[in-house]
Amino acid sequence: MRKVKRLVYLVLTVVFMMSLLAACKKGDVKETSETKQETKDNGEKEENKQETKTENDKHNPVTLTTVSMHGGTDPNAANYQEINKKFMNDYSYITIEDDSQTSDQDWKTKIAADFAVGNEPDVIQFFTDANASDVLAADKFVTIEEIKAEYPDYAKDTLPAALEAAVNPDGVQRAVPTTGFWEGLFCNKDLFDKYNLELPTDWDKMLKAIETFKENDIIPIAVSLNNVPHYWVEFLMLAAAGPEGFTTVPESAPEDWVKGLEMFKTLRDLGAFPVDTDTIDNDFAGELFKNKQAAMQLDGSWYAGGIPDQDNTVVVSFPVIPGGKAEPGFMVGGLSSGFYITKKAWNDPDKRDAAVKFVMAHTCSESVQKYWNGNGTAAAKVEPLADMTPLGISGLNYSSAATSISTPTDARIKQEAYNTLTAGIVDVSTGARTPADLIEEVLQVNAR
Amino acid sequence: MSEVKKKKKKIKVSTILIYIILSLWGITTIFPFVWVINNSFKPSREVVNSSFSLPIEFTMQNYVKAFDNLNILEAYKNSFIISGSVTIAVMILASMIAFAMTRYKFRGREFIHSLIIASLMFPVFSTIIPVFKMMSQANLISNPLSVIIPQIAGNLSFASVIMMGYLRGLPIEMEEAAYMEGANIRQVFTRIIVPLCKPSLATVGIFCFLWSYNDLFTQLIMIRRRTKFPICALLNEISSKYGIDYGLMASSITIIIIPVLIVYICLQKNIIKGLTAGAVKG
Amino acid sequence: MLYKKKLPLFIFLVPGLLLMVLFLYKPFIENIINSFYDMTSVVKMPGQEWKFIGLENYKRLFQDTKVRTAILNSFKMMILSVVFQVGIAFLLAVLVSRINKGQHIFRTVYFFPIVISASAIGLLFKLFYNYNGGMLNQIMIALGKEPINWLSTSKAFSMISIPIIWSYVGFYFVIILTGLNAISDELYEAASIDGCSNFKQVFYITIPMVRGVMCSCITLAVTGALKVFDLPWVIVPKGAPQGVTHFLGTYMYEQTFTISNIDYGSTIAFVIVIFGVIVSKIVSVLIKPDKNL
Repeated sequence: MRKVKRLVYLVLTVVFMMSLLAACKKGDVKETSETKQETKDNGEKEENKQETKTENDKHNPVTLTTVSMHGGTDPNAANYQEINKKFMNDYSYITIEDDSQTSDQDWKTKIAADFAVGNEPDVIQFFTDANASDVLAADKFVTIEEIKAEYPDYAKDTLPAALEAAVNPDGVQRAVPTTGFWEGLFCNKDLFDKYNLELPTDWDKMLKAIETFKENDIIPIAVSLNNVPHYWVEFLMLAAAGPEGFTTVPESAPEDWVKGLEMFKTLRDLGAFPVDTDTIDNDFAGELFKNKQAAMQLDGSWYAGGIPDQDNTVVVSFPVIPGGKAEPGFMVGGLSSGFYITKKAWNDPDKRDAAVKFVMAHTCSESVQKYWNGNGTAAAKVEPLADMTPLGISGLNYSSAATSISTPTDARIKQEAYNTLTAGIVDVSTGARTPADLIEEVLQVNAR
Repeated sequence: MSEVKKKKKKIKVSTILIYIILSLWGITTIFPFVWVINNSFKPSREVVNSSFSLPIEFTMQNYVKAFDNLNILEAYKNSFIISGSVTIAVMILASMIAFAMTRYKFRGREFIHSLIIASLMFPVFSTIIPVFKMMSQANLISNPLSVIIPQIAGNLSFASVIMMGYLRGLPIEMEEAAYMEGANIRQVFTRIIVPLCKPSLATVGIFCFLWSYNDLFTQLIMIRRRTKFPICALLNEISSKYGIDYGLMASSITIIIIPVLIVYICLQKNIIKGLTAGAVKG
Repeated sequence: MLYKKKLPLFIFLVPGLLLMVLFLYKPFIENIINSFYDMTSVVKMPGQEWKFIGLENYKRLFQDTKVRTAILNSFKMMILSVVFQVGIAFLLAVLVSRINKGQHIFRTVYFFPIVISASAIGLLFKLFYNYNGGMLNQIMIALGKEPINWLSTSKAFSMISIPIIWSYVGFYFVIILTGLNAISDELYEAASIDGCSNFKQVFYITIPMVRGVMCSCITLAVTGALKVFDLPWVIVPKGAPQGVTHFLGTYMYEQTFTISNIDYGSTIAFVIVIFGVIVSKIVSVLIKPDKNL
């Protein structure tokens, strides 16, 4: 009896181990069969269009791995997927395996690791500035020049200025951009009207607004200093230093940067930030603004689409702080991402063509029009929109009236240095640390 | 006779007190569970504004959204492959280690003991980067094994500590008697130790399963293909996809915890079985 | 006699230990080596070299006030864990083992906080503590009082300790209960026939009998306190507010994954392990888990 029992245990263990192995293997097999299934489905769909079918039959089936930043809460996630879908319909022999995600710090770290170990995708939409320095160090992208030698039509719709703006720090063009962004001060205009306040176009009006809102139990500025103080860092430093001082990376803490960051403490002491600005996260700060519990929020062009009240929200340019060197109408913005083709895909004869087609599908005028949709700047020629919301128009006016456009600080300094800067803002705002001390450390990290 | 009665009465008062104390703690632990399920039937805005009342506007939308977008069954399967194998492997290996560590006296035992204790301290973030490198060199990224193996190693020290504690409390006489009757070590282990350890094996099993199942961190780093995502990783993605949609998060959490509860209740019966077998008395 | 032969010992020990060495110790040592270099990315890019910076990270460690806060908080958490987590769990386990009906229910119910993943519990407590519209402040307003910032610098640590302690009581409860149930009823019966009160029974029978299990629990509580990460990271990320709630685990994570100072993160990870080894050594000297062997 016991022997039987033991035998049963043994058999169970063996079966388990086998099933485990099988499961691992099966996963792989199943996936490929799934993709095959998909291609077959597509093929069937195409059956009516005889021409396309014969055209497509000439090619071997290709599976293209792609990664973009249009994932998660990105407003363009749907557009991206739509273009992919259409692409797979047009080219039934190509299957796209897409792993797009929101571009946060963790994601960047993972992508860098993927590139380091040879796990990179075939096509990736990624940063073009200093944010990409880790990935660029792996030297795994094909240059546009090289692609154009074989495919002269590559990036034909993209404006030359946009291509130039998306150049990598080493001066080589590798990425094809779609849209650029701006950052600006979003205001709940109805709240300003309610308390007879003027929009904060200069610093006095800003102070007046903060004071009045504070008295009436409305949070003047929705921001999470612990989570995303980035926009405020950029604008305060830019307002204090002016575009030129802002965009040169100095060796020791410049007075102007210090002056800009000092404003955090001034604002905090005025009670301009939420009581729990040290603990809430950025999404929640956004909710405060959207629910009209807060009057102002500094954010990027991508933020506009998610605001429910499109009629009473406006974007204004950030006021110059007292003694600041910037001209009124300064703006933070730029064009800092684009589609890259990796050498892995380029050196694979089947994938080369598919990858080029994929990038062209995403960067042609028609697609750029979709991505742009009135937010930020477009990298190709676009038609003006007929049905823009008042907020959309306000954003467009704001960005086209900008007197200067500066790229954010993280385009110029090492990621680790930039992260050190944003992580130190809470301490600066409480006075636990002097801005000069923080900037000094940041520059040290950057120089290392 | 009267004395006995008195005693019974006294016990009853204290029993009621015990039940009150136990129930109070029970309320605190059951509350979040109810809260999560309750909120999973509300639209997101209602969760933020009145998360503690019953749904005013009862909606299944959150579940529809979750099931619509994702292949939840496939993700459950991935999760069970990973967590199931981690649990079983840890149970086998830990009982072996604990048996060797408590029953044998040998040189270096102290050293191995402190090795096991020290590895309890390793936070998973401190080993994940080199492990990721190893896995990618072995071309195992996105393979369930890339999560299974580090999780076995990570949970093993905890499981061994628990099993060692339990085994120490077991009298050695029975094993010696069995040996006298001619049983060899393997038989002693499989016929005496393992059955005796059932309750603590069940304990270890539950926790390993849970930790492996809820360990989003390792899953996110190792599994990169969406088709291979375990359930936690998949639902993490969906909740980040819709921003702070608390209603959707609540429904995701409900979807995540239901299988775990089932496993817990299954293994719990096992504990009781182990007990009624009268482990110690033999 | 039975355990004289040493060959089976190897068969029992080697597979498990091998896994631990390969996937815990080897990466960990690699991690220590990393802490002497200035790492620019998680994995070395082909053709990239990391600069050797020697003990720079360790020098920084001694000057870093945040590390001090983190160590202090982790120590506080250790004491709180042993006293409250294990203490409450023991109390509940003894009480549950004393009742006849409903054991099953309590056993299941107490386990709920562990079943729900930390991110969900974190979210729950976040909604409790929220300044704008959180549950506690909804109650305050209903009582006609001013809303309170529950996560202000002075309160944050206590507020974050509550969920950490609460969520893991069930964990130790299950472990201790398993040990308690191994004690035969005859012992208690004999004791009560001898006129031993319930209270005395706990002291003279229960505690000595579950000693091994309690020692394991204390070791786990102490080391667990050093690894505390997910709950604080969800409720008060980056040691918010103003870095007062940093634990060694959260500070390490912040350095490694949000600031990408990976080498400094590795240094802190090393410190966590060193601390853990020292503390658990002290614990094992104090409570002598092997005494009755």
